Amino acid sequence: MGRFVVRRVLQAIPVLIGVTFLIYCLVFLLPGDPIRALMGEKQDPHLALVLRARYHLDDPLVVQYWHYITGVFRGDLGTTYTGRSISDIVAQRFPVTLKLALTAFGFEAVIGILAGILSALKRGRFADNVVFIATLFLISIPVFVLGNVLQLELGVKFKLTPVAGIEDGWPASYVLPGLVLAATSMAYIARLTRTSMIESVRSDYVRTAIAKGLPRRRVIGIHALRNSLIPVVTFLGMDLGSLMGGAIITERVFNLPGIGGQLAQSVSLREGPVVVGLVTLLILIYLVANLVVDVLYAVLDPRIRYE
Amino acid sequence: MRGAKGARWAAVAIVVAMGATACGGGGDTGNGNAGGKNNGVVSVEIGQPQNTLVPSNTYETEGGQVIHALFTGLTKIDPNNKIVNDEAQSITTKDNKVWTIKLKPGYTFHNGEAVTAQSYVDAWNYGADQTNAQQTNALFSHIAGYTDLNPGPKKTVKTHTLSGLKAVDANTLQVTLTAPFSAFPTQLSFTGFVPLPKAFFKDPKGFGKKPIGNGPYEAKTSFVDNEGISLTKYAKYPDASQYNVKGIDFKVYSQQDTAYKDLVAGNLDVLPVIPTSGLATYKKDLPGHTIDVPEGATGYIGFPLKYNKAFANPKIRQAISMSIDRDTIASKVFLGARTAADDYVPPLIDGYRKGACGEACTFNPTKAKQLFTEAGGLPGNSLEIGYNADGDHKVWVEAVANEIQKSLGVKVTAKPFEQFQSILNDLDAKKYQGAFRMGWQMDYPNMEDFLRPVFSKDAIQNGSNYAGYTNDQFEQLLSQGDQATSQADAIKKYQAADDVLLKDLPYIPVYFYRLNTGFSNKISSMNIIAHQIDWTSVKLA
Repeated sequence: MGRFVVRRVLQAIPVLIGVTFLIYCLVFLLPGDPIRALMGEKQDPHLALVLRARYHLDDPLVVQYWHYITGVFRGDLGTTYTGRSISDIVAQRFPVTLKLALTAFGFEAVIGILAGILSALKRGRFADNVVFIATLFLISIPVFVLGNVLQLELGVKFKLTPVAGIEDGWPASYVLPGLVLAATSMAYIARLTRTSMIESVRSDYVRTAIAKGLPRRRVIGIHALRNSLIPVVTFLGMDLGSLMGGAIITERVFNLPGIGGQLAQSVSLREGPVVVGLVTLLILIYLVANLVVDVLYAVLDPRIRYE
Repeated sequence: MRGAKGARWAAVAIVVAMGATACGGGGDTGNGNAGGKNNGVVSVEIGQPQNTLVPSNTYETEGGQVIHALFTGLTKIDPNNKIVNDEAQSITTKDNKVWTIKLKPGYTFHNGEAVTAQSYVDAWNYGADQTNAQQTNALFSHIAGYTDLNPGPKKTVKTHTLSGLKAVDANTLQVTLTAPFSAFPTQLSFTGFVPLPKAFFKDPKGFGKKPIGNGPYEAKTSFVDNEGISLTKYAKYPDASQYNVKGIDFKVYSQQDTAYKDLVAGNLDVLPVIPTSGLATYKKDLPGHTIDVPEGATGYIGFPLKYNKAFANPKIRQAISMSIDRDTIASKVFLGARTAADDYVPPLIDGYRKGACGEACTFNPTKAKQLFTEAGGLPGNSLEIGYNADGDHKVWVEAVANEIQKSLGVKVTAKPFEQFQSILNDLDAKKYQGAFRMGWQMDYPNMEDFLRPVFSKDAIQNGSNYAGYTNDQFEQLLSQGDQATSQADAIKKYQAADDVLLKDLPYIPVYFYRLNTGFSNKISSMNIIAHQIDWTSVKLA
């Protein structure tokens, strides 16, 4: 197990370097000029030249990347073209997205799995239908529609939740955005759990467990659920990464100063170093989440071994 | 039937579940707001400022809004859009070239340091120096010695002081300009010209996060990116009694739509610009708590005159101009958030003349068609109008394109560019042959600001003259306006210069912007002057 983890961590290094270089190239290949983007509608050509020289923007791509990556190894993520430290941006924005993603993750894991179990156990009955329709509803509604509608109804009309921003801290400010962000995945997880659960409820070892006279709670909770969770855990693991990176719309609707909004803004401003810094962080999270998933397999199903 | 019933239950269940989970947290907020209702603190929406809060590095309205509350400059704009002295006791000149500015005593920075003439000299030297790459650098170009501080990229700056600046004594500032410039006192109302304390030069970075100003409000906390900053009233400000509001919370929103919802819900007190999505309903949503006034900005359609001969004949430009129904665009497309342009200079500026553009800006498809045919039409009988898709321009440019097509019988296409600078790049490279949308928002309320930065020879290099338009008569009249000894005289000369433009139509003025603002019940009345909240006018309910 230990060797497995070490190998996976080592594998991550070339992945990271390759991906940062690729992203760096892609951002710099985008048409448009960051300094002009910076100045908006009031252009000052003289000042633009001064800034271009300062940020090495007239050098070839490889030289620019070299300036960037050597900085990273010195522990300096660089500055934006407006002189803000990128480390500061990350430090300030990352916790917001993390809180949001974990809130959403909690919702989708708890509500999704519970709804899935309920639906599997009451198969074909009223509760199953309710879950079926609810999941269909969540999957088919676009995130920004759901976000805006809930924001208007719960926040503006009934004043149950804060409309936007993070002033009220966790959990108040994060509950509604978290739910909105989790909505689609929550539905998938409910479906996934249901299918997988129905399969294991019918399997031989569950029948054996019932025949042994184990209480129903133990049969369902330990014997059936544990096996059913393997595909669900895979999905959850992958999803944590996409929750972090995919929160752009939710963050915009609810005005949360997280990674998603910054990423979108930095891409449009052609701020290569910021994009690369943030994406690198997201890749790291992806890699770690996948590693955790792989390790969890062995815990859930002892037959799966890594050596 | 069964399905339908199920669906209703599911919907009810979801709403109940969400309501229940959200309720626990939401309750506190409601109470918090109710308690804070009468504490005299007002919250204001801003976008994330582009740079840190250094006045000379702030050239956009978001950060400008904060700087304006934190700092006081030499002059300011009064509710009638006239320039009046603020921290200046008097501003005198004999020739519009050498200006003597006396300061009112008694002003201090928020750290206790007295504001002196030297505070201005230091601040302006910093702003004009290319080493510091300040966004408003070009605004200092009228002051003598500017070129020495801006030798060009990769060249070292030999001196860091403008030769035209002199602190005669603690309260007297003498400014020498390179050429006479009658609009200079007006220019001084811009936030780029405020003074800076000594503490700034020791730590510009830290200062940018928590500025030490000389204005009515001081920063108690640092600016938190994407969240905002809280200001409180500065007790030692000489005119402090005129300010009703005890504190200001600037809140950063990434989406104005979201801010609008917060305003309607009562979580936000001032939304300086109502987003397009709210324009149709805001007067109903916020009865009696809206502002709808003209703004100092003009929208145009421009032409690449410097390299596309197809547009060289002014008759072609007039024909295109006359084929646009500006009133319909303003009222239907912009829902009244714009008015039809009939001059280059918008109505709130001294010197604006109603209908100055005359026939050329009046919708007349028959005459337009006739002029167009006389001038020989356009090559390929087609016209392209470029716009940047990152702004709110698609709808109106397409409407204009449609009208020109109908009136002139040419094929008109609205061409989206990904960003504004993509258009500019193509214009610089002389690659783009079509017309393009353009806009200008004033830096200071003076006619000159709508003429020189957009249409002068200098503005080809240093401004927004993307048409590459040149006219010697226009240049002469501009400089005569600069030298005029009275304001009325200056306006006359600038108007004559404006007339030259109206005859040539290098850009077609299409609309004037209006400012649509909303505020909450906590505020009983307020006023916005030149994009900025006039804090003395804000009265609490």
